[in-house]
Amino acid sequence: MSGPQIILWVIALVVLAVCMRRGMPQARRAVAETNRGFWRILPMFCVALPMAAFLSELVPADIATAWLGDDSGLNGIMIASLAGGIMPGGPFVTFPLVITFSKAGAGVAQMTALLTAWSVYALHRILTWEYPVLGWRFVAMRLASSFFLPVLAGLIMQALLPFFTINLAAP
Amino acid sequence: MLNALRRHASLVVIFLIAVTAGLATLQLRGTEAFMAALWHGWDLFLFIVPSLVAGLLLAAALRQLLSPDALARLMGAESGIFGLFIATLVGTLSPGGPMAAFPLVLVLAGAGADRGALVAFILAWSLNGFQKLLVYEAPLLGLDFALLRTLITFPMPIIAGWLARRVPITWEPPK
Repeated sequence: MSGPQIILWVIALVVLAVCMRRGMPQARRAVAETNRGFWRILPMFCVALPMAAFLSELVPADIATAWLGDDSGLNGIMIASLAGGIMPGGPFVTFPLVITFSKAGAGVAQMTALLTAWSVYALHRILTWEYPVLGWRFVAMRLASSFFLPVLAGLIMQALLPFFTINLAAP
Repeated sequence: MLNALRRHASLVVIFLIAVTAGLATLQLRGTEAFMAALWHGWDLFLFIVPSLVAGLLLAAALRQLLSPDALARLMGAESGIFGLFIATLVGTLSPGGPMAAFPLVLVLAGAGADRGALVAFILAWSLNGFQKLLVYEAPLLGLDFALLRTLITFPMPIIAGWLARRVPITWEPPK
């Protein structure tokens, strides 16, 4: 296990210990919920991980360099933000696709913008959840206060990149 | 049968893409590349599972300790930046997809969280949710990228929540 994993386990066990002090039924409920959650997620894993591996095997290199490459700058960040905003599907689709784009030459700042836009705009989630549950006014209010975040995240990442070595295509 | 299909629609879609991509890899890149890809997937799986179980346990144990009502009281309109910070923390720790998060938004709204806190909660859940980070981002894109990106976007829900309290759009929580 790596360092962050050990830290996570320690935190989880400490919180579980606090649960036990409150009462055994609560601790047992926590463990039961963990078990249920694990089996619910497992099938998705078993298909999503091979999918990601196969897709990254298939994509030809350098087809996205011109539009989304490291040198595409602000334009590339804006294109990536638009693309991320309309991308449907859950994380099991998006993250493998980001690997695929990166292999095809997309830049790290551009992919940061894409992931941020996918989380912030999330057109599919607005249509299926946010609008029905909270209404248009809430959607408008949330977008008015967050629409600039994907481009901002991309620009900050671009400014920080010279200090780090990050290769999304082969982590 | 049809109901089961509908409930597991995304699983079925991913499965079909995986099978198609697998066959294409076998056809275009050969058996060796196919096996290498499968091995890589298995490697990722072994890497993710310990974090996944720990993350699920943390979320489940926290849920036993914290009540949405008590949390929402810390997120009222007068709660200032501190309330937005709490909302951001709760959103980051909320596991599960939209079918779990949006009902929780309604609960928080009903218990007194204001619009800024709700905006911060939704953005923190979708941008920085720990489950997505552990299960997908860190294993697939590398820990360095996942941490750096999270560091960049962590304060963003607080900024958006602060703005949401000032945007001239009136909104009443649904009853």
